[in-house]
Amino acid sequence: MSADRTGFERALRDARLLITAGSGGVGKTTTAAAIGLRAAQAGRRVAVLTIDPARRLADALGLSELTGELRQVDPTHFEAAGFACAGEMWAMMLDIKTTGDQMVRRFAPDAETAARILDNTYYQYFSTSLAGAQEYMAVEQVRTLTADERFDLVVLDTPPAAHALDFLDAPDRLLAALDSRAMQVLRGGSDADDGLAARLLGRGKGLVLKSLNKLTGGPFIEELTDFLLLFGSILDALKVSSRSVQALLRAETTRFFLVSAPYRANVDEAVHFKEQLDRRGFPLGGFIINRVHHPCPWIKDDVETLAHALDELADVPLARREALVTRMLAALKAHQRMAERDREAVDRLARLNHGPPVLVPLLPQDVRDLRGLDRVARSLTA
Amino acid sequence: MPEPPHPFDRRFLLVTGKGGVGKSTVTAMLALRSAQQGHKTLVMELNTQPRVAELLGHEAAGPEVTCVERNLWLVNIDPSRALEEYAVMKLRFRALYKLVFENPVMQSLVRFVPGLNDLLMLGKAFNHERETDEDGGPAWDRILIDAPATGHGITFFRLPKIIRDAVPAGNMHRETAEMWALLTDPQRTAVHLVALPEELPVRETTELHAHLRDLGLPLGHLFLNMVPPPLLDATTRADFDRLRSRPADARLGLLWDITQVRLGREAQATGYAEELSALRLPQVTLPMQYSPTFGRPQIEALLGALPAS
Repeated sequence: MSADRTGFERALRDARLLITAGSGGVGKTTTAAAIGLRAAQAGRRVAVLTIDPARRLADALGLSELTGELRQVDPTHFEAAGFACAGEMWAMMLDIKTTGDQMVRRFAPDAETAARILDNTYYQYFSTSLAGAQEYMAVEQVRTLTADERFDLVVLDTPPAAHALDFLDAPDRLLAALDSRAMQVLRGGSDADDGLAARLLGRGKGLVLKSLNKLTGGPFIEELTDFLLLFGSILDALKVSSRSVQALLRAETTRFFLVSAPYRANVDEAVHFKEQLDRRGFPLGGFIINRVHHPCPWIKDDVETLAHALDELADVPLARREALVTRMLAALKAHQRMAERDREAVDRLARLNHGPPVLVPLLPQDVRDLRGLDRVARSLTA
Repeated sequence: MPEPPHPFDRRFLLVTGKGGVGKSTVTAMLALRSAQQGHKTLVMELNTQPRVAELLGHEAAGPEVTCVERNLWLVNIDPSRALEEYAVMKLRFRALYKLVFENPVMQSLVRFVPGLNDLLMLGKAFNHERETDEDGGPAWDRILIDAPATGHGITFFRLPKIIRDAVPAGNMHRETAEMWALLTDPQRTAVHLVALPEELPVRETTELHAHLRDLGLPLGHLFLNMVPPPLLDATTRADFDRLRSRPADARLGLLWDITQVRLGREAQATGYAEELSALRLPQVTLPMQYSPTFGRPQIEALLGALPAS
């Protein structure tokens, strides 16, 4: 690898899996698509997976909708948008709403157990928020795609930051919860337990359940226990597949890119997220900051001088031209204040030692078509 | 004629929206206005990076209810502490609590029970609503809750109903039934939504609105945050539009670029504001504050956008 390339360009060329993460509303999905497009423009065959049902992204890609099925962007659309694309661009949306059910069906030892889990009141209420199940399936799906020979690169757009952490932890967390001693206790205690803990628990089980029942009243705990026991039955199958997912997320050819807007709260989250990645040994490729106000010089000339320079409006009274110039200068002032704010965000992320962040300027409109996406894609490597 | 609705019409106010849209900003400005009007106001932040104190120029609030300025109290709810308080109250003995809840087995179970943390935080909020002063009147004139972000937020609001229905009798049934009664009571409660004039926040706000309405929660105002105020009036706009292409003059070229971006953002925001007006909620437009920093002066500047009361 030549030394003059940035980490980002290297990743675009060599990585097999790129993952974008960041807080909500920072333009993460668009960034994932722009990264995919940039790589496709360089000749790679790219699959972009998004989790948000991004209507606008589907429009931008010229797809009628994004579904759980992979679809290729029609190459003639690139030409129509005025650029060449040597590679291929595919996209799909991960349908995480039904993945909890899928997971249960796939890993349950038999159809009857699967049916009982799916039937459990508690599972039904919480299947949409069950710690890690959806994320787990999503990551599984990514693993399948990275093994698919039709693609050189998979770009994964994760849910907003708080949940993206769940995403990364999903396999481990789900296993930890299901494999926990709490489960053993609820299952009826473990014979192999050791020393004090065993005595505490032996006594504890009854006490724990009694106290919990006192707290909740009613059969809440029985229902929960039933659920946990049933769910525990799919544990071993999950464990095996979890290991390969974890290996994939830490592979040499995987890179995470943290996407942020220049707002402080977003930058805080990006910093927090970097710490989380480091702690888990997930490879960070760098930061991408969207909607940046680039610094620009102040104009020293007075309003009248500028108004006189507006040749095209020579027939308009000078006072009106001056009024326009005054408002344009006000916009420049506002822009500069924002540039000052953005600079702080850029400096802060640059200090985290991953080279200067990739900056995408604030555009007059958010991306709505391939032309706009191309504009963002080009600014990524500008 | 009926009075137009005001964000302070109800006493128990929840502020919600997609992450990063400015829920804390709206919570902070409502809290400040409420306190300035002489109402005893409590702000509750739920298990998040507390932001409200800082926005108002105060030290961060901890898990204790703290008075930060005249008429204004802040608290950041810590779910594990809330669990302890609740359990000690019900089990009556701290030693028993320790035995049960501080044992690693129990802690691992508690972590796994989805929604337990949320329920505990909501329970705290509920208790503050019931709290009385020495004369037996309500301890708080107004309670503002910086609620979790959408997605998570929907589960959060549904939770008392879920538990109430899942647990047919007993303590927890009774408590969650009362919580649900409070959340759905249009006399006491309003849920304010916060949005940005951008695609995802607008879509999520529309979805959230539908969910909350279906749940029967009383909706309050829609706060549209960071809206670029109009740069040009009709005359200057017409003149600007006559500039067909980017002026060759470097100075005017720069001004043209910057103005293009600004007008583009304005137009986009206007489109989204119109889209959101379909929700038929009273809207409060919060103008973008073009300032490198965001703190109390900006919050105070935004107070002007609130309807008079």
